[in-house]
Formats: sequence, C-alpha cells, structure tokens
Amino acid sequence: MSWFHRLFRRAKAEAELNEEIRFYLDQETQLRIDRGESPEEAMQAARRAFGNVTLVTETTRQMWGWTLAENFVRDLRYGARLLRRSPVLAGAAIVSLALGIGANTAIFSLMDLVMLRMLPVREPHRLVQLQKLNGDSTRGNLSYPMFDQLRRDLRSFDGVLGQSGIQEREVVIDGRPETVKAQFVSDNYHQVLGVSAQLGRAFSGETAGPVAVISHDYWRRRFAFDPGAIGRTFQLGKAVLTVAGVMPEEFFGTVAGVVPDITIPMSMDGAIRGGRSWTTEPGISWVSLLGRLRAGATIEQARIETQTVFARILDEYKHMRPAGRVRDYFLAQRLALYPAGNGFDDLRREFSEPLAILMGIVALVLLIACANIANLLLARSSTRSREIAVRLAIGAGRGRIVRQLLTEGFLLSAIGGVLGVLLAVWFGNWLIVMMSNGGERIALEVRPDARVLAFACAASLAACLLFSLAPALQAAGGGFQSALAEIRASRWRLGRGLIVAQAAISLLLLIGAGLFGRTLHNMYSQDPGFNRRGILTFWLDATKAGYKGDRMKALYQSIFAELRSLPGVISASSAFIPPISRLAWDGSMTVEGYTHGQQESDESHLNIVAPDYFRTLGTPVLLGREFDERDTPASKRVAVINESFAQYYFKDRSPLGRRLARNGPDREKFEIVGVVKDMKYRDLRLAPPRTVYFASTQSESARGWSSVVVRTTTDAAAMLRSIEIAVGRVDPALRVLEPRTMDELMSRSLLHERILAMLAACFGALALVLAAVGIYGVMAFQVARRRREIGIRMALGARPREVVAMVVGQTARLVLLGTAIGIPCALGLTRVTEKALYGITPTDPATFVGAVAGLALVAVVAAYLPGRAATRITPVESLRCE
Amino acid sequence: MPQKERYQNRIELLQGTLDMLILRTLLWGPQHGHGIGLAIRSGSEDVLQVEHGSLYPALHRLERQGWIAAEWKMTENKQRAKYYRLTAAGKKQLAAERSRWGQLVGAIARVMDPT
Repeated sequence: MSWFHRLFRRAKAEAELNEEIRFYLDQETQLRIDRGESPEEAMQAARRAFGNVTLVTETTRQMWGWTLAENFVRDLRYGARLLRRSPVLAGAAIVSLALGIGANTAIFSLMDLVMLRMLPVREPHRLVQLQKLNGDSTRGNLSYPMFDQLRRDLRSFDGVLGQSGIQEREVVIDGRPETVKAQFVSDNYHQVLGVSAQLGRAFSGETAGPVAVISHDYWRRRFAFDPGAIGRTFQLGKAVLTVAGVMPEEFFGTVAGVVPDITIPMSMDGAIRGGRSWTTEPGISWVSLLGRLRAGATIEQARIETQTVFARILDEYKHMRPAGRVRDYFLAQRLALYPAGNGFDDLRREFSEPLAILMGIVALVLLIACANIANLLLARSSTRSREIAVRLAIGAGRGRIVRQLLTEGFLLSAIGGVLGVLLAVWFGNWLIVMMSNGGERIALEVRPDARVLAFACAASLAACLLFSLAPALQAAGGGFQSALAEIRASRWRLGRGLIVAQAAISLLLLIGAGLFGRTLHNMYSQDPGFNRRGILTFWLDATKAGYKGDRMKALYQSIFAELRSLPGVISASSAFIPPISRLAWDGSMTVEGYTHGQQESDESHLNIVAPDYFRTLGTPVLLGREFDERDTPASKRVAVINESFAQYYFKDRSPLGRRLARNGPDREKFEIVGVVKDMKYRDLRLAPPRTVYFASTQSESARGWSSVVVRTTTDAAAMLRSIEIAVGRVDPALRVLEPRTMDELMSRSLLHERILAMLAACFGALALVLAAVGIYGVMAFQVARRRREIGIRMALGARPREVVAMVVGQTARLVLLGTAIGIPCALGLTRVTEKALYGITPTDPATFVGAVAGLALVAVVAAYLPGRAATRITPVESLRCE
Repeated sequence: MPQKERYQNRIELLQGTLDMLILRTLLWGPQHGHGIGLAIRSGSEDVLQVEHGSLYPALHRLERQGWIAAEWKMTENKQRAKYYRLTAAGKKQLAAERSRWGQLVGAIARVMDPT
C-alpha cells in the first residue's frame, strides 16, 4: 500500500474515532438530561465521567498498531533534524560510509560479474567445461577430429559444443574492410547452449552452411539495429557468409568479458581458408569444449565416462605421433570436467584471486569506517547524555531510546549506502577499464541490478548495526540516576576499545599495502635480461600481404634497412616470440654429450630470431657471437643458447662449437655459436627458462607473422608514426599491428601487481586517515574530560612536555595493544596472499616493521594535537568550567 | 463530592474481564459504544463500573483482533453511530473466556470457602 493511501486511511480513521467519541458524549449527556440534570451540568458531568479525551484517543490509536511505523517516521525526522544541526559530523560519517560501502559494492559487483553470474541459457547448471590437460597439467585444446569423435561417443551428455578462441579478423562488408572479433563454433553451439536468436535464426545443429550470427552489440554498432542486417553478406578470407541471426542482448557468449562480434560455424573453416579445413586436421588443437549433461546424469558419471572414451580416442590417434617421448606426452593427456554454469573460466581464473584479496581489503576498510562512525556517535551521545537522561526521566523506555539512536544510525547508513552505490558504479567501471589494461575493453559493465543493490543494502544494514548499536546501548544503559561522569567514563572505555580495533585493522591494511607495493617494486627493479628503455615492438603479418618464401625474407631485409635508416633508430630486428608476450614455444632437445635421465625433462624454450636481435634488446652476448648476415640457408646451421641452458648442460665447459638437435623427424644438428644473458621469456614472474635461439635467416620457411623490435635513441612511443610510414614505404599493404613500447608490455604483464599495489595503497592510506581522525577524536574528548585534573597538575608544577607525554603515552599504549592484536592476525591473513607476492615472503619483517612505524607515527601526531591543547589549560579556567 | 458518594458501592473491573463483558453484551445483537457501556452497567445492576476511557481502546483492540466488526449505522434518533457486532471468531473467543472465567471463579471460591 502506498504512503498516500495509508495516510488517507489514517486520516479517515482519526475522524471516525473523534465522531465515535462525540457520539458517546452526546448520548451520555442526553441520558443525564433525561434524568433531570441541566444541559450544561449534564455535558460537564459526561465529560468528567469520560476522562481525558485526548488520552483516550491516544490509547485507542495505539490499538491500531501503527505506532511502530509512526515512531520510526518520527525518529527519522528527528534524526534528520539532528544531522542537519551538526553537518560536519554527519558529513564525515556519510563520506566514510559511502567510501566503505561503495568500495565493497564495487568489488562485489565485479566478483558477481566475473565469478558468480550464470550464463543466460537454458538450465545453465547442467553445463560442464571439458578442459584438456596435458601430462604436466598445462591447459590445452583438442583437434577438431578428436572433438567430433568425442561428442559422438559421449552418452552422459545431451550435446557437446566446441569453440575456438576469439580472434580479431578482417571482414569485408560492402567492399569496406573492417576488423571484428570473430569466433568459430561447432554447428551445434546454440543448440547445446539452448539459446535462440533475437532476430533471424541461430545455427540449426546440422551443417550450418555459409552463415554467421552477430552479437547484439555489433548489430547496434555496425547496423544501428537495422532488421535488414539479416541477409547481408560479408567476405571473410575466401568465403562469403550471410548474416543469419542476431543474438539477444543479454547473451555475452561463453567467455566472461569477451563478446564475439561475429560467430561462424567451424564447418566453414576450409572455405574461409581456401584450403584444407582445420576440421580435418588431427594435428591442430584449436577447440575448447563445453557439454550439456543429460538430464539426471551427474558430473561424476560424466567424468568416469569421459575418461574411458577419451582414453580410447587417444589410443586411436596415437599412431600419428612418433613413438617415445612425444607419444607418451600425447597419451598423458586427460580431460578434466568443471561445472560451467557461468561459462569458460578464463577471466575467472585470472581475476578471482586479486578480487578475493580486494574484497577482504575493502571489508576491513568498511570495518574501520564503522569504528570511526561509532566513535563520532559516541562523542555526540555524551553531549546528548543530558537530553537522554531527561527523556528517561519523563518515562521513555530504554528500548525506545535505543530504537531512536538506531534509527539515526539507519538514516546515516541509508544515505551512505545510496551514495555508496553511485560510487560503486563509477569505481567498478573504472576498475574494469584498469583490468582491460589499455587493450581490448573487457565487455563487462557494473550496473546497480537487484543483486548488487541487495548486497549494498545488506552492507549498509550491517554497518548500521556495527556502528550504532554499541553507542546506543551505552547511551541508554547510562540510566537516569547515574551521574554524567559515569556515562563519560564508559564512553571512554568504549572509545579506547575502538582505538585498539582501528589500530589493529589499519595495521593489517598497511602491511597489505607494503607487501603489494614491494612486490610491484621487485617486479620492476629486477633485471629482465634486456634494456626496456627505448624499445618499440609491433607485429607484422606478411602472409596477408601475399608474401612467401624468398620474397618474404627479402621483405624483412628491406624493412630492417628502412627502419635503420630512420633518424633516432639504432637497430631493428625481429623474433618469432617477443619477450613477455605471454606466448611460449617449447620443444624437446638432444644435446650432444648429455644423456637425459629417466625423470629428467628434456624440454627447452625455443625462439627464432633475426640478426641483431640481442643488440637491439640490449641483452649482452656473454660468449661467441649472435646471428648475423653470414648465417644463410647455405651455411652451417647455428644456434644461440642462454646462460641457463649453458649452465645446465655444460657446467663450466665452453658450449661454443657443441651441437644440439630438436627431437623430431628431421633431427637436424645445430652448432652453438653464442651464449647470451638470461632473459625473461613469457612472464616477468617466472625465472628465465633454458632457451635456444635459432636464426630466422636459416629457417626453411620465413615466418610471415612475426614481431619486429626496434631500439630508438629517444622516446619509443614518439617514433611510432615515422615507423608506420617507413613500413608503408616498403609495402603499403603492410600494417603495423599492436605497437607497444617495452614499458607498456611490462605494465601490462604486471597488471595484477599494479591493481593490487595501487588499491592496497589507496585503502591503506584511507585507513590511516580514518584511524587518525578516530584517535584525535577520542583523545581530544579524553583531554576535555580530564581538564580539571590536568589544570591542577599544571598548577602543581607539571611541565607542558610532561602533559603532552601523558596524552601521547596513553595513545601509544592503546596503539601498541592494537599492534599486538594486529600482528598475529596479519601473520595468519597475509598467508592467503602468498601467490600474489613476488620476491618477498608474506611475513616479511621489514614490511611489518615499516607498517608498525607508519601507524605509530600517525598515532603520535594524532594524539599530539589534543596533548598540546591540554597544555594550554589553566587551573583557573578549568575550575571555572565545572 | 456527591457523585463519588453515589458510585462508592461500585466495584472496579477485574483486569482482563472487560473484553469478555463486551463480547457477552454483543451476543444480544449489534450495539454502539455508549450502548455497550450502558448494558454492562445495567446488566450488573449498576455494580460494575466501566471506565468510559477504557471502553474505546478495548473496542478497537477487539476489532483489530477480528473478534468484533464495526459498521456505521443510523440510530433511532437519526444519528450516525458506529455499531459493533460479534464475529464468528468472537463467539469462539467468548466461549473460551467464559470457561476460563468459570475456572477462575471456582478456584477462588474453593480457596475462600474451603469445605
């Protein structure tokens, strides 16, 4: 029922009650007149007999049962008036609440988006991810023929779908090329998921034919919601496809955070490629799997069945691998089944840990904010103790007073909560931009939906109880007779407790900030094995421009020459895999004169690099030489190894002139001509692996797709334009793709560390400020309370320094107690962050000491101010005050 | 005060019995508040004194509990008045209170006049 109706009904009921009582009095008067009394006398007697009309009306109204709501509204109004009267207190409380609730809600909504939300498909809980794991537990994909066999053989699934990764592809629509995010899916994709198109149709499940479906987002961006988009054709590779349908808006695909613009059936792969289709290649693994459990089947049953079926399929395909290590590795593959109601778990895997840590941090911040507000309210409740004593004296129940104070707290937390939600939307979306890391925007958006609002409400209510219950109980518990001093004493006890709690929690946050900050610092200050200043990398796709074989080699030569001729460019080279690109290529090696043990891994990381690569990166050549123009297909095959490789296989002997070979069909021998310093390979967190470099000038077919590395004398980013022009001069069809400076690559690689360090620092600073305000408030109050005592001490000869020392010492004892509580908690809690740290243990003594010192410093400053104020007290003044 | 003298042989109502008396009175048919008060007074031959002020809270409480229902009607003197009548739930409640009352009276009687 709306408020309006309620009020209306209420007014009507009041009128009726008045009429009822009037009628009663009329009747009574009439009765008395009939008995012979005079009208005036009769009316007065009737009224007298009835008693206090207002009181009766009041008591009757209580019977209606609206008093609770009425009191609540009245308390709210009263609370609002009080808040308006002390705007500074209200402002401080609301801002700290808004920050606390906002941060919590933002992190929660991200967790919700990334980890909790279900796919908008039919019965998402029946979806299961079938993840291929290699023998060494690294994740991988399946080849299409194996996937196809698997999906036909599995009985515990209604269907199993396959999908490729999402890639940027160039499509031509209306003769205009554009880049879209494309994903290949098996033709039963939509059928297994149980989604249908919003417009047109999805893939039927049988061979889909030359069609594609587009996302709602792409429909909006590219076609402005034009229904005529259905039936439009576009060219992708060598095939022409027709748009058959538009997916619904809420369907974001099966990978959280990435929505493919265009979805294409895998059966079209051959036509697009204009050659042999990957659907017939058992050697190319590009399919990841999602299955829908048969109704009634459990994931356990499916796991058992999958194991047997997959083992049989591996056995069928094993003849395609050479016997020995390669075949063993192949046979060691298995399929792991995970519930996948919220889709593939890439984003979840990547961000669940930082998000969980952040959630813990923001919860602590909210706790501190609550402690602070409790402090502020305490300060006020002691100034209000007179009001409360009077109210108790004139008969207010203790419960009524507590309710009044709780209602005031509720008002604060409601305002804080509303502001918090607004803040959360802004903060959450900002975090998503951070998470997408300057690259492809993660297709998530924080919206205040029902779940997020429910969380914010719960957080606000919990906060309200936390910060207002203790002061309220304390205020009402003081009682009518108890002296003001007694209330003040208990307020001091509670205030002290809050300081201890705040100190402990702030310490936790400071230690966290210290650990994450030092992790980031360690990452940046370690030696990556190359000089990151002045390096620009970009990708070139020469195959698309039609280059092959020798022409391709010549192309790279002329690009390097063109780049080197630019002013400001020192050198240019290229690599198959550039440093810290998250890409890796490894293979098993045979080293002459070394026999691998039974359990020993013979895998090394590999790379193919052009001449001048190490000079360009600034990686020192320790022994021998790096590749140069002398290394041609005609000359002897050569290789360069890194320090770790040399150390592992050759110990102290010189590796120069020794030979090694890749295990494979050709077993070609390479002679080692140089040793270079260790360089981080795919990730800054991992130690450089044993690495072998081959010369691109010697490789059979030059790679069309490779990364060009340029060293410049100046700011690398500023050179981008002239580099693009230089590449265009060599061939206008070539494009500079994904240009990045090495600094950018490193920042990207350190995304988690940067997010955690930055937010932990922000929240740590916030915690310190809140704690300082709390300490200041409590100590200032304490000084005011002891005004007289301090005045007398000063009169008896206490020096100002001693008075300050007394106040500061008192604070120090409390903070020390907080530290004593906080450190064991920190020792327990920081352990969960262990995986997120680098080059530092979760119990790093220096960080702990630093955090304690920082907290102590802030506490002393916060306590010094009231201490100084205390020295200005004169005995006369203090006595006059009483 | 003369009035006080006139009422001095009246007895204060026992706590909790007012509800029962109101329900009992309404057994005869719908009645307005003043009429209920009169009926109790006269039914007890002027011995039971209904506090006028406590009548209305009791009526509204009973109405909220659903034991009586109210309706605005015209009196014989063409005046608008709120008439209360017993509901089915009210009848059940009356029976329950009546038996409780019987037990109470019996118990008190046994204590006062042990045989």
